[in-house]
Amino acid sequence: MSGAAAGRTAVIAGLGCHLPPDVVTNEDLTRRLDTSDEWIRSRTGIATRHVVDPGTATSDLAVEAGRRALDSAGCEADAVVLATTTPDQPCPATAPAVAARLGLGPVAAFDVSAVCSGFLYGLATATGLIASGTAERVLLIAADAFTTIIDPADRGTAVIFADGAGAVVLRAGDPAEPGAIGPVVLGSDGGLSRLIEVPAGGSRQRSSGVAPAPGEEFFRMAGREVYRHAVDRMTASSRQAAEAAGWAGPQDADRFAAHQANARILATVADDLGIAPERRLSNIERVGNTGAASLPVLLAQSAAEGTLTAGHRLLLTAFGGGLSWGATALVWPDVKPV
Amino acid sequence: MFEVLKEMLVSKLKVTPSSVVPDATRDDIDLDSLAVVELSMVLEKELGLAISDDELLEAATVGDMARLMEERSTAA
Repeated sequence: MSGAAAGRTAVIAGLGCHLPPDVVTNEDLTRRLDTSDEWIRSRTGIATRHVVDPGTATSDLAVEAGRRALDSAGCEADAVVLATTTPDQPCPATAPAVAARLGLGPVAAFDVSAVCSGFLYGLATATGLIASGTAERVLLIAADAFTTIIDPADRGTAVIFADGAGAVVLRAGDPAEPGAIGPVVLGSDGGLSRLIEVPAGGSRQRSSGVAPAPGEEFFRMAGREVYRHAVDRMTASSRQAAEAAGWAGPQDADRFAAHQANARILATVADDLGIAPERRLSNIERVGNTGAASLPVLLAQSAAEGTLTAGHRLLLTAFGGGLSWGATALVWPDVKPV
Repeated sequence: MFEVLKEMLVSKLKVTPSSVVPDATRDDIDLDSLAVVELSMVLEKELGLAISDDELLEAATVGDMARLMEERSTAA
């Protein structure tokens, strides 16, 4: 048992999500890429995805998702944590602007950077803010305008990544309550940072005085190696999270929500964990891979559709650049997404 | 070893059984690069055979992959 589990912890009190209205179909992508609907569906499980229109930034998505989560919880928040890989600007953080636009006043607000694992890293961070008494209610938003860093000509990533935002409100509560956040299993392997990266635009490239080579400002992913690590890390961390929560194993999960990276990765991980197909939550066919937003969007949509309901034992896991990964297990509370 | 490989391809990777013949190429059985990673992981987990996806990608046909598995299992 962690120190937090002995006394007060964070409890999920509300959630919501927002997807930009523009939808790109596989058919649309075939007009500019050498690909086909069948190729994309069979390899990724994706049919459509939402993308931002010109001028829309991550904060615009985050504000909308954040407002819905606050409405769902029926309260305000005294801290805002924003998990994103696509901040509005390199400096400052995007969270303070989001907090201001939500009218939350001079609250604590900062960004968390853990690529597609961002929601779970943010969940652990927000739980710490509450457990320490630093905050009473935290608005945790995970938002990415991921398509803004994707090379539109890269068939490997352009068909997968998409935009969106999801948010939860966490309040102080008791570890035994439904919705209480227990131990979050987190990990990283920076020795493999090059497998998922945007090479240029940071201090390394800027201090070199050398202009970036063509394409280095875009996101890159070494697909085959990432696949292997994603399966290994999500499987192992899910087992650890189930154990840390006192479950017999991952097969105890009534619902399994994994970062919606690629339908084949998800199937392999869930098969390895012994989780039956009807217990796997998925929306990748409709929304693609929305980066950090992936998990909270999945939770909000599943709760709205009734596939995730109060009392379900829920296992969450994610994997992303860093490399980074995480998992946690909880009992789903009685909350209504807005 | 060919039959063992065929069983893995059919049961784990959902390849059509009739398409798995020794002369079939990766394209013939629709085995893309991610599926090759999956196959590498399956061979290690189910049979304890450590064959990297790079090595499997160099095999021109299913028969060549089976030969690679034979070499590796005798070496071990």
